[in-house]
Amino acid sequence: MAVDESDRSYEHPLYTTLERMPGLDVATTTIDKLLTWGATNSLWVFPMATSCCGIELMATAASRVDADRMGTIVRGTPRQCDVMVVAGTITVKMAPRVLKLWEQMPEPKWCIAMGSCAISGDFYRDIYSVIPGIDTAIPVDVYIPGCPPNPEQLIAGLMRLQEKVRAVRAGEWAPKEERPETAAMQKTAPSIARVSSPERSQDITLAQLRGAGNLGLGGGMKRKSLPIVTAEAGPPAEASTAATESTEPASPDSSTDSAKAEDVEG
Amino acid sequence: MTLASAARLGVDPHRDLTDYDPEADLMVLNMGPQHPSTHGVFRVKLYLDGETIVRAVPYVGYLHRGVEKLLEELTFVQATPIVDKNDYVSPMTNEQAINMAFEALLEVEVPRRARYMRTLFAEMSRISSHLLWLATFGIDMGGALGGGTTLFLHCFRERESILDLFELVTGARFHYNTHTIGGNRHDIPAGWAKRVHQALDLIASRVDEYLDLSTKNAIFVARTRGVGTLPAKLALELGITGPILRASGVDHDLRRDAPFHAYDEIDVKVQTEQAGDCLARAHVRIRELSESIRLSKLLVDGLPEGPICGGRPIKNPTQFKAKDGQAYVALETPRGELGTYVIGGGGNKGASPYRLKIRPPSLHALAAMPYLLVGGTISDAVVILGSLDPIMGEADR
Amino acid sequence: MLKAEAYRALLESDFGVQEFSDKTPPCIEASEHHRLAATLKERGYTLYGFVAATHMPAVKGAADALELAGHYEVATGLRCPTEGSHIAIWRVRLGLDEELRTLVDLFVGADWQEREQYDLVGVRFADHPDLRRLMLPEDWEGHPLHRDYPIDTPHPPWR
Repeated sequence: MAVDESDRSYEHPLYTTLERMPGLDVATTTIDKLLTWGATNSLWVFPMATSCCGIELMATAASRVDADRMGTIVRGTPRQCDVMVVAGTITVKMAPRVLKLWEQMPEPKWCIAMGSCAISGDFYRDIYSVIPGIDTAIPVDVYIPGCPPNPEQLIAGLMRLQEKVRAVRAGEWAPKEERPETAAMQKTAPSIARVSSPERSQDITLAQLRGAGNLGLGGGMKRKSLPIVTAEAGPPAEASTAATESTEPASPDSSTDSAKAEDVEG
Repeated sequence: MTLASAARLGVDPHRDLTDYDPEADLMVLNMGPQHPSTHGVFRVKLYLDGETIVRAVPYVGYLHRGVEKLLEELTFVQATPIVDKNDYVSPMTNEQAINMAFEALLEVEVPRRARYMRTLFAEMSRISSHLLWLATFGIDMGGALGGGTTLFLHCFRERESILDLFELVTGARFHYNTHTIGGNRHDIPAGWAKRVHQALDLIASRVDEYLDLSTKNAIFVARTRGVGTLPAKLALELGITGPILRASGVDHDLRRDAPFHAYDEIDVKVQTEQAGDCLARAHVRIRELSESIRLSKLLVDGLPEGPICGGRPIKNPTQFKAKDGQAYVALETPRGELGTYVIGGGGNKGASPYRLKIRPPSLHALAAMPYLLVGGTISDAVVILGSLDPIMGEADR
Repeated sequence: MLKAEAYRALLESDFGVQEFSDKTPPCIEASEHHRLAATLKERGYTLYGFVAATHMPAVKGAADALELAGHYEVATGLRCPTEGSHIAIWRVRLGLDEELRTLVDLFVGADWQEREQYDLVGVRFADHPDLRRLMLPEDWEGHPLHRDYPIDTPHPPWR
């Protein structure tokens, strides 16, 4: 979308006054640097720690390799966190919860995929109940390989994320072009297109969001799923019947079939 | 709550309420599967009457990775790094369990040095597992920025020294892949025994500090005494083994009662308590930690010379084949009885198991949750779950 | 308390088992399953061990009727927690449509273990209070540990 530089109708008069003050850009860049310094040195982590990498995440927070010296502490609620560190294998039963918690995090938010289970599913990736990498559901910023990665590697990953945060805040970051996939890469590609890949279709994203929103309440309590309205998807009525019938994932406590059928309406 | 009281009240603790009565004034609080204190991905739905838990319904399976199905496709030789990830806080015992089961099936002898090394690694794994348990128990009680962090930081510092020792032998902090069919793959480097003694002496000197911070601390005692009492009969029926069973008064330890590997040559002093509450479980685990330090020192001094592997050197993955036969081998991990039931004669012309069932002690322990949580408060729920020490990688496989 | 020989003698005398081998646990009739567990529990085998079900697909031209049609084999183990700690293991063979009597009334731990075997293997347990899935989401179709279940079964929109 090209910005028409000459159109200044949206600007507030105070802005135009301030713009003409001498030395203002020095002040704003300094304030910007201060805010960036604050943002990068206080990346609060949401630990989506499901398995063994969770233990190394705890070891990183412990005293030998202390993550707190970078301002990185672990918080229990997604509402207070900047970074979600997905550490461990994500299963089909767990994935809607991960997506739901991701959606609960406020912007700006980042995601680190720690360990090979979160990057690609490791050797579990072909198994019926395992997600082939969390980047098929949420966008990942930093990948930390290892099984499990050492605490030092997690710190290195966090420092890489700090670089990225600085670059994004300064407006100097652009996503790398996806390199063309060779035949060998296609063999190990995940079965669902990654969030960042151009082949990703909106249907999968909507189906996943709907799955994350429809987590069952149980006890016979029924809940209407809220419609997800986007610019492309349009009104939810026709999208829901097509996408949700066969793609309704975990609702582990709805007891009767009739309850489940009623849950599925848009 | 005991079995008898559950029967009297007509309460089936495992069942969810399907006839939800909106007038009954019960609040449903969902704890998990992502929660800082659920020790992995465990979900329990709490029905609360005010602050008291009236019913607790646990849900598992959030880490079900289909390990048993995967192992049917892989061969015996390839199984070790896969089961490493089950009970990820004491990986040596997982590997030992599966290799013992395969050795029973394939009738491969393990040389004496390998038996001693495996036992030594298992005991050191037990120390590091109990240290991690104490650390996370401290966090559960004190919160991330509260007083419990002291225990967490201290115990992880000691645990790092044990992980360093393992790194010297196998090259990895975690997920060692060092056991193989017939013995071990990595031998002990020179000078390792001295470092083991140094590290274990350090931990032994710190145990008093842990006791001060935990079982002698008034707040810890107030939160754990009388909380989550598990009667011995219920524990036996549920199949709970390990420190939880021993804290309920049952004197059962596979290391002494059904000894395997080097346990028949050393004398294990089994620690029991009678009370069966969380404080008793804490006592048992900390005493087991001291006992394991003593046993590790004995084992590292008494390591016999000899080969470390009785099977043939591994040249290709389909080397070991079993046409038929079944074997069940159980060993005592820091969580209880880890059993492996393997049926031979699977794919790859018999080089894969036909069926491999892992009997996880954590799943049996989690089945006690509905009985233990009822009648307590939410803070008790966190303490009880911590004291049961479940590892979801093992419970869900 | 029974040791291995006494266990074997019990099976021979009361449960009519003739064949014993070192390689496989003894096999009893499906209808005797609950009675054996009750007898063992009275004799001190009070610690619930494990239950492991296996799906054996149909074998063409087999002599045995169960093997011809495909069957389940359920192995159960009960341990005696007193000194010596012997574990008594036995097998039961069931047709694909039959149900095995549950052990929940004797051992509460059998509840979740049998649910897990139903979930993954598909063998049903009669009189079980709540036989539903444990490990997989409740609306999952199929039993993954069946021999003909493909390991990479897709589950859109997640895999």
